Parts: sequence; structure tokens; C-alpha cells
Amino acid sequence: MIVRSFIPALLALCTTLPAAAASSPLVGDPAPDFTLRAVAGGNVRLSETRGQVVVLSFYGSECNPCRAQLAQLNGVYRTYLPAGLTVYGVSIDDDDDEARAFAQRAGVAFPMLLDPSKGVGREYSIVALPTIVIIDRGGVVRYVHREPKSTGEPVYVQQLRRLLDE
Amino acid sequence: MATVRALTLIALVACCTAFAQDAPPDAAAAAPAVDTRSLDAQVQDLKKEVVDLNRDLFILEEELLFPANTQVAVFLSMDVGEFFALDGVTLKIDDKEVANHLYTPREAEALMKGGVQRLYVGNLKVGPHELVAFFNGKGPNDRDYRRGATLQFEKSVGAKYLELRITDRQRKAQPEFEIKDWE
Repeated sequence: MIVRSFIPALLALCTTLPAAAASSPLVGDPAPDFTLRAVAGGNVRLSETRGQVVVLSFYGSECNPCRAQLAQLNGVYRTYLPAGLTVYGVSIDDDDDEARAFAQRAGVAFPMLLDPSKGVGREYSIVALPTIVIIDRGGVVRYVHREPKSTGEPVYVQQLRRLLDE
Repeated sequence: MATVRALTLIALVACCTAFAQDAPPDAAAAAPAVDTRSLDAQVQDLKKEVVDLNRDLFILEEELLFPANTQVAVFLSMDVGEFFALDGVTLKIDDKEVANHLYTPREAEALMKGGVQRLYVGNLKVGPHELVAFFNGKGPNDRDYRRGATLQFEKSVGAKYLELRITDRQRKAQPEFEIKDWE
């Protein structure tokens, strides 16, 4: 009987675990600074966004879940832009042309950056795609997410709201 | 009527008593203010000490990592920048890439306002060396522009300072790139 009463709790735990923030050695540390080329032209330096909540979405052009996540992020970006949210898509494709073509097809409003050498990907310990890194207004990594199959409102949106209110 | 007056009087007296109890004595009120100021001064002193310590540690680290007899530092400056919008610089010393920097519009603007950037600091042996710098950006008429500049220099005992300079050549309406050796 006691075991039965635990079953719903266990099920609930299993459901929430995949959506929870992935363990990353970066969480709690200052976000490594970088300068990358933007698909739209010009260069972007992360440290120049200090004071804003920043989302880095690492993706690849051959990753299908990435496309869905970028579209989802685009909606989030449009909603929270006035509150001080900055979003960057970071492509880790080897081929610049392919990455540019993918970025243009994605049609997102936020800047898409190119990391063909994967130097930034390595610094952020990216081991799976898509991965979302959330950085607070002080430049500290607060959450790292790998949740390509999330449906409904992703967990990171609630966390973003919390960070935007800080 | 007398009852109303009596009640009003009692209420007033009660009010005054309550205020007198709530209001702290003058001396007691002044003391915390002095304490706060003193604490604030202490915090400021502590902050200054931390900043000084940080500066000393930075200097010490620089001296240890780049001793004066082997140190080479390369700076970048930009004068006017009317004919060239800087995008990136790649630096090679003795055919080995030592620095690669991409410039954001804000950084380029800072350089145009007179800022000087320390692009690279490292160590070199005494003797002849070659420095090659590649400048990428947008040139006149918003065209992609890539230019290089080379300098053969002699590293002697003592720190070596080199400056990459981007200037406008008004007569030709073109940017000019040069490397200056600060003896």
C-alpha cells in the first residue's frame, strides 16, 4: 500500500527530470566571453550585453529538434525583448555557407552567430544539440538545458521570467 | 460638553506620551548615524585596499609571465577611420598566429575616439623577428578590404613595444596601415 502511494510521486519525478536543468560545470560560473561573427554582418561580443539576461542557443543545421527550438525561442524573444532579454543562436556548423543558409531559412528575429571553429562550443562544454545556456544580468551562467522534446511551455521560460525580474 | 473636552484632553495627553516614548533621545539618534558613516568609510577603505591588491597582483603576474627582458607587446590604434571600418585583425610573429581579434562596432568606435588596444603580449628571444598583421574590414565604397603590413624587427634585451596604426590617407582616399617600432 505504501509502495503504491509512492508510484505517482516517482512518476512525477521521472517526468520532471528530463526537463530539469542539465548538470553543467559552468552553472554558477561567469560566462566565458567571446566575439563571434553574426550572419547578418558585424561581430558580437558577449560581455557587451552585461545587464541583460542572455540566452545562447547552440544549434547545428542538420539537427531537426534545433529548428523547432529556434522557432520556440523566437516567440520567447519577441515577448521578453522589452524586458531586457537578448537571444543569440550559435551555429557550430563547419561549413559557413550552410550555417548562413540555415540561419536565413530559420527566419528568426534574434542574431545568429557563427562558430565554425567550435571554440565557443568547447568553452561552454556543449555535448548535445540543441543546448540552451541562460546567463543572468551579472554575466553568470544560471541554467543549461537540453530539452529538445519539451512540449508546451518549456521550463526555461519560467526561469527566464525569474531572471528578468531579478 | 465637559465630557467631550475631558475625552479630547485625555486623547491629546495619550498621544503626546506615545510620541515621547517613540521618539529616541537626540544623543541616541545621532549615534547610529555616526556609526553608519564610520562603517561606510571602513567599507570604502576595504574596497580601495582590494582594488590596490588586485592591481599589485596583476602587475606581479605580468612581471612573472612576461619578464621585461623577453616581453613583446603589440598595440593597435586608429586615427580617423573614415576610409576603413575595422572588422578583425590577425597577428603573426615568425609565421605563427599569436592573436586574432574581431571588433564589435563599440570597440571600433572606442578606437576611433583615440583608444589604444593592447592586442598581444608575449615573450620572444633576443634576435631578429618578423611581425605580420592582416587587417580585415570594409574599405572605401563599403567594399571588403583585406590588407597586410609587415615589420622586421630586432628584439634586444628589454621590453619591445610595437604599434599597429591605421590612418587615413586623405590624398588617395584610402586607409593606410603601418607598424611602428617604439624603441
